[in-house]
Amino acid sequence: MNPKIHLLFIVTFLTFFSCSPKSGDLPYLGETVVENGIEIHHKVGQFAHLNQDSVLVDNKKMSEYIYIADFFFTSCPSICPKVMKEMTKIYDAVKDEPNVKLVSFTLDPKRDDVAKLKLYANNLGIDHNKWYFLTGDKDATLELANTFFVAAFEDANAPGGFDHSGKILLIDKEGHVRSFSEGTDPENTPKIIADVAKLLESYKSK
Amino acid sequence: MNCIHNYTGALILLLITIMLFLAGCGDTTYMQGKRLYVVNCQNCHMEDGSGLGGLIPALSSSAQIGSADFSCIIKNGLNDTIFQDSTYLLKEMPSFKKFSATEITNIVNYVNHTWAKDFKESTILDVEKVLNECP
Repeated sequence: MNPKIHLLFIVTFLTFFSCSPKSGDLPYLGETVVENGIEIHHKVGQFAHLNQDSVLVDNKKMSEYIYIADFFFTSCPSICPKVMKEMTKIYDAVKDEPNVKLVSFTLDPKRDDVAKLKLYANNLGIDHNKWYFLTGDKDATLELANTFFVAAFEDANAPGGFDHSGKILLIDKEGHVRSFSEGTDPENTPKIIADVAKLLESYKSK
Repeated sequence: MNCIHNYTGALILLLITIMLFLAGCGDTTYMQGKRLYVVNCQNCHMEDGSGLGGLIPALSSSAQIGSADFSCIIKNGLNDTIFQDSTYLLKEMPSFKKFSATEITNIVNYVNHTWAKDFKESTILDVEKVLNECP
């Protein structure tokens, strides 16, 4: 073979593999900007909410864990039971993994106070230290949902008074969105469970 | 020889007809009730009737099903505090007042046929009798 063609092969090979993400790495979802040559990935917004045991849960506390998040409200008559069913499947898959939490933000803090969330969590039969049900300022939570790529807004004509999508998100310790699934589609759930394992593995190899 | 060919062809046709008939049979049991269940009940009670923890009762283990007695729950919902084995359940069940006795009969038979331990078909007269005596 012509040495020039040889060289072309080698250069092409190196270029391709040096630019590809490591095999098995999860992507960073959302916009990535480059500042001073450093890539800055999208992060979820700031929050400081109370959980079902009246404990403050904020970004700093969650930075110790990777976590699965969704947005719901307890009186939601539409997609929430289906999404919650998928959340319980994820909970069952990760409940023995100490570095993983689940977080469900209520969009309806007026009706979903701490006591109601506690009752909801009790009835779901979950470990309160593993799965946080969070309540906080309504407008801040609606804005926060957007940073998780969840469309959520108040709508008097929507069932229960809120319109929202049923996405389930995987967030890393730095607050980046690394994977998502459609909570209304049970076929999506095994993939996000597998992605939790992938993300945990990436921290072990650091 | 032609006669044998004719018989073989007829036999194959008969087998295909039987197979198609049996395949169709599997999905037609209480089809009307299933359609109503999918549109009105499945969102909460789930496709497999498993419900959601202590929030939404699983139909497969519910003491309420097995007869036409739960027709009143479908018609009027459960708007007050709901208990199951002395556990307080948070969610209330909406009422389905729009349903006719025929539609309720269809749902009752689909649910009982799918999840009740001992299935006995309910007639529209059974359902009407229960509905007339709702609390």
